[in-house]
Amino acid sequence: MPFGLKSKKNKTGNAPGKQVQLPGKTGSEAPLALELLITIVEKSKAEFYMDIIQSYEVNFQFAAPAQGTAKAELLDYLGLTDTDKAVIFSVVRADKLDELTYTLETKFRTVRNGKGVAVTVPFTSMIGTSVYAFLCNAVSSVKGEK
Amino acid sequence: MNENSGYEMIFCIINSGFSETVMDAAREAGARGGTVIRARGTASKEAEETFGITIHPDKEVLMILVPKDIKDAVLEAVYKSAGMSTAGQGIAFSMAVNRTVGLQ
Repeated sequence: MPFGLKSKKNKTGNAPGKQVQLPGKTGSEAPLALELLITIVEKSKAEFYMDIIQSYEVNFQFAAPAQGTAKAELLDYLGLTDTDKAVIFSVVRADKLDELTYTLETKFRTVRNGKGVAVTVPFTSMIGTSVYAFLCNAVSSVKGEK
Repeated sequence: MNENSGYEMIFCIINSGFSETVMDAAREAGARGGTVIRARGTASKEAEETFGITIHPDKEVLMILVPKDIKDAVLEAVYKSAGMSTAGQGIAFSMAVNRTVGLQ
């Protein structure tokens, strides 16, 4: 079993997948915590930021088109034309977050039209060790199983 | 980057077209801005019949990042302006965020 995780049966008595309890909770603990990174940026910069995030061993992310809520008067005052945004949802390993958030902070400050906001929300549990390994990019566990 | 930042993310799931109403109420309670994602609801037909309500499938998800100390006031404002008993049929909840980037 990868990572020495203990599998748990669910309340119905069936075990459709192995439950991974993430750190901070009782029971079997996963060695690497995961967090959901939510990044809100200009629509035109979504791909740029997704490439950056992907370089931090992020295997799963998706972007949704969105709109900012700034009032028309404020946009006129600032000389802006649209409020098109993209919200990027990425599953990131907690041990990568220091580096990644530092990079994002730098890019938000220095890239033209690259201003954005990012927040992270910790995962508390997950079902399925193979999904967990995929999200953690635990390549060694996959190789070890073969 | 700010760890354990003292911010919370409020998610409001509302009928399409009500994001302005919610945002106006949230602003009055101290929120600065938000981001709207278009979405579709998936309530079951049976539940609609049982509770005697019609679920408008076109939804908007409004995400508002606020300091923890005004979270309750913003949630209350959102509930009053577009709660389940209003035409907005909104559901709102908040999640604590670990880190924030880009707020300064």
